[in-house]
Amino acid sequence: MKRRVVIVGGGAAGMATALGLESRGVEPVIVERDTEMGGKVRNWHKLFPTFTPASEILDPLRRSIAERNIECRTGVAVETVASDGVTLAGGERMAADAVVMATGFTLFDARRKQEYGYGIYDNVVTSADLEQMMNSGRVRLADGSMPRRIAILHCVGSRDEKVCQSHCSKVCCITGVKQAIELKKMFPEADVFNFYMDIRMFGPGYEELYREAQQSYNIHFVRGRISEASPMINGRIQIKAEDTLTGRPLKMSIDMLVLMVGMRANDDNGLLAASASLDVAPNGFMQSRDPFTGAVRSPREGIFYAGAVTAPKSLADTLAEAALAADAVVDYLNRTQR
Amino acid sequence: MTFFAPFTLPFIIGAAVMAAVLVAKYTLWTIHLPAEDKRLIRRNMFSAKSLAAVWEVVRESLLHVRIWRVNPMLGYMHSSLALGWFLLIAIGWIETVAYLGWGWVPLQGHVFFKYFMPVNGIAEHKAGFEFAMDLMLTVVLSGVALAWIKRMRSRLMGMRRTTRHVAFDRIALSALWFVFPLRYVAESITCAIYGGGSFLTGTTGKLLGEHLDSATLDALSEPAWWLYSIALGVFFVAMPFSRYMHIFTEIPLIFLRRYKLAPSVEEKSYDNFEVEACSRCGICIDPCQLQADLGIDDVQSVYFLRDRRYNMLKLATANNCLMCGRCQTQCPVGINLNTLRLNSRAKLRNIPNEGRYGYLAGLDRSTGEGRTGYFAGCMTTLTPRTLAAMNAIFEAAGDDVWRADSDGGVCCGRPLMLSGETAAARKMIDYNTGLFRRHGITRLVTSCPICLKVFREQYDLDGIEVLHHSEYICRMIESGRLHVDRSDELYTYHDPCELGRGCDIYDEPRRAIEAVGRLAEPEHNRRNSLCCGASLANTVIDDKQQRRIAQRMAAELEATGAGTIVTACPLCHKSIERVADCGTMDLAEVVAKNILRDKR
Amino acid sequence: MRSIRFGYGISKPRAIDIDSNDLRKSNEILREMPELQTCIGCGSCTASCTAGNLTQFNFRRVHTLVRRGEYMGAYEEMNKCMLCGKCRLVCPRGINTRGLAMLIKRKLGDF
Repeated sequence: MKRRVVIVGGGAAGMATALGLESRGVEPVIVERDTEMGGKVRNWHKLFPTFTPASEILDPLRRSIAERNIECRTGVAVETVASDGVTLAGGERMAADAVVMATGFTLFDARRKQEYGYGIYDNVVTSADLEQMMNSGRVRLADGSMPRRIAILHCVGSRDEKVCQSHCSKVCCITGVKQAIELKKMFPEADVFNFYMDIRMFGPGYEELYREAQQSYNIHFVRGRISEASPMINGRIQIKAEDTLTGRPLKMSIDMLVLMVGMRANDDNGLLAASASLDVAPNGFMQSRDPFTGAVRSPREGIFYAGAVTAPKSLADTLAEAALAADAVVDYLNRTQR
Repeated sequence: MTFFAPFTLPFIIGAAVMAAVLVAKYTLWTIHLPAEDKRLIRRNMFSAKSLAAVWEVVRESLLHVRIWRVNPMLGYMHSSLALGWFLLIAIGWIETVAYLGWGWVPLQGHVFFKYFMPVNGIAEHKAGFEFAMDLMLTVVLSGVALAWIKRMRSRLMGMRRTTRHVAFDRIALSALWFVFPLRYVAESITCAIYGGGSFLTGTTGKLLGEHLDSATLDALSEPAWWLYSIALGVFFVAMPFSRYMHIFTEIPLIFLRRYKLAPSVEEKSYDNFEVEACSRCGICIDPCQLQADLGIDDVQSVYFLRDRRYNMLKLATANNCLMCGRCQTQCPVGINLNTLRLNSRAKLRNIPNEGRYGYLAGLDRSTGEGRTGYFAGCMTTLTPRTLAAMNAIFEAAGDDVWRADSDGGVCCGRPLMLSGETAAARKMIDYNTGLFRRHGITRLVTSCPICLKVFREQYDLDGIEVLHHSEYICRMIESGRLHVDRSDELYTYHDPCELGRGCDIYDEPRRAIEAVGRLAEPEHNRRNSLCCGASLANTVIDDKQQRRIAQRMAAELEATGAGTIVTACPLCHKSIERVADCGTMDLAEVVAKNILRDKR
Repeated sequence: MRSIRFGYGISKPRAIDIDSNDLRKSNEILREMPELQTCIGCGSCTASCTAGNLTQFNFRRVHTLVRRGEYMGAYEEMNKCMLCGKCRLVCPRGINTRGLAMLIKRKLGDF
């Protein structure tokens, strides 16, 4: 009899895990809260550091899921998890031989940093908004004109005790560099300023892209965190920061402010963890068994993790982890064969 | 009759020492009062204020009405001891007069009347006096019993924590605990020998008489009276140096307060009356969130006053206070705890002010005029939603507004005052006063309760009405200049410390919220509302501790089931927004969201 | 001449010589407020500073120099602070900046 594994979450991590399991003779079932599969990547335009369209990664995944007739339950949330199945909202029980949590993350709500003016002034957008705008093919200011000066602010909702998000979201630095280049390509006449605290270029090709942004695209990097944004009479936005490398306060007027929103833990991590006696890390993400060989295992046998449910991750890391998770599940099923 | 026996010596000496010390202390404190305070006393002494003070002395020093209100068990304990003892003395005095006429009887004659006049000739009064005296003794003994219980098990008395004491307190406390039981024993033995007494000492005397022979009773009598006298003497000597100093000090304090004396930003002689009127009852400990949420248990007002009184106050203790004022609202003696702490900070700050803020000169390049001045406040620039809402409100109300700090103003000075840098704050105050005066405003609106408090209390802004934006908004709505739509949305409101307890503004924000939606009150509200933890007054606790306080108070607000937490202070706003799961809005935002534009 | 310019002069500032700087005061300050070591130098405090908006006061620079044992002028600079507390509200590391301003003044009053 084919063994059945419930995968909670139908984003990149969930789909890749499902495909890995299916190819090894396991029957995966994906439960996705959203009405559509694909997760956060669905709304992304292009991927760092190669500017690969996100659809080039996501479409093959979705196509394979459909072709292999993998069961997907969309539009339904999971309320409890256990090693022998999950309970759906409404009380339906789905039995399984193992469960993979691939529930990902939540984007930080930039309105919580109201000093940056998101939701108050026009032309303050988040990195996610910008991707959507690029997807729609039209990046313009609210009045339809083209921005002449753009500021990109790193670490919004990351490394910030004041919003109770002390961790680094890992991908925003490189996203900021990527979006700066994209904006510069769209608006060659515009000046783009990246405001950062630290630039963390941890992945292959990232540092090269950073350098390219500086050298080939003339993107300005200012070391200092913007403290406030305020409206100006002419409709522009004034930002204040310290240019920490010169030790002087800096003020400038800009047309557009892009906030690199961080990745935060899902609000329901705590409830899901409690339902299966799992651990939640201090930053709210799920705690793996250990960060080395147990990264995709939970402390409980039969429950596994894949992707950003355990920490902020790039898409590349997520996909690699999905393969690992599939391996770990198959290994577990073989050990516990009835 | 001389009314002398050797055993009365400890009592006489104790009473004399106490009297001398009391007179010396009160005289010195009065002499050192600043001229202004002395003038107040002279002006008010022969007025109805003195009568009011007498009545307050009866209510507070004898009946302890305010303690009853906070905690009936503690109230009973205090009034049984104070009123009971007072009546014991008063009835004792009447008894002496009744038996001996108006002639001079030395003090110990009154106090040890039972010893000197165990049986007396006027039989018809006897039963009545004996009964009254026994009744009062019973009442006092019950108070002593409660005091014991409070020491051992404070929770039984409705207090989570009680005060830890210094050596003088322990001596006085122990002596006081023994005074009345010893009096009971001594009087009972005398009754056993000579008869007399009522239901308490009489009955006990009879019992003793049945079980002990007269030789034994005679042998016990003197030592018992000795012990009673020693207990009294020890208590009296320790009293002026212990917390029991409050027994007498509260009386001059009540009078002086009625004469409008009050502590100020600098220490002065009047403070002594307030500091030594603290009975260290410990009622201030429980409301302190540093205690309840963080387990910090050595900085509360009772300890602050104790340390200050014995000259062992550390800056870290003085600085570790949110100055939320929750303890002050509960203090049964009505001590100005926040002001005393402020002037201690001023004294300890150890920072010379010379030549500070020279850069303020020539800074003012402000332009424009308006009927209403708007001073947003430093913090409000970090809550731009509030600023945007205020703009919408000013526009909808059609007001003519001059913006005092849209380009970044000078701080109001309150934060410096909270840190004891009063002289430095004066420079900010002078600068801003000049600024406000130059632009023809008749009304000054601020969105920051911290600024509001200093504008009202320290600025000389005659002719300019100072309003918090909640008052302004409320007035605009009620006068029909601002039309709002009422929805069914449920809000809850957090009283900022500086606005509520600080400026006594509780109703206007509520009326403004109820004009646009429904209001649910949290468990602690108005005068008892919790502090958000981010108070500028505290420079000791760290970020995590601030957050813990905020979490506890936000949880209470969220428990109301409201969809939005409303507050009216940018600092509170920030600290709630940081931890609350539901939305956080400033009062101005809530109103601005519901402005009806077409009605105008 | 030992002097540190907190404003901007023509002459180049000399090197910070950790070997010859007396770090005792700096260590005392860090002992009383260890969280100061968590500063990541983002500049939020200086950017939001009410006094820094009106004068050349740079809070981050002053406390960084103090940590390196450069005390000259630190007290005078810190006296420009209005203690308004905005910096504490924006510090991403949650440093008690207001307490720090007072601590530096207290420790370095005689420099």
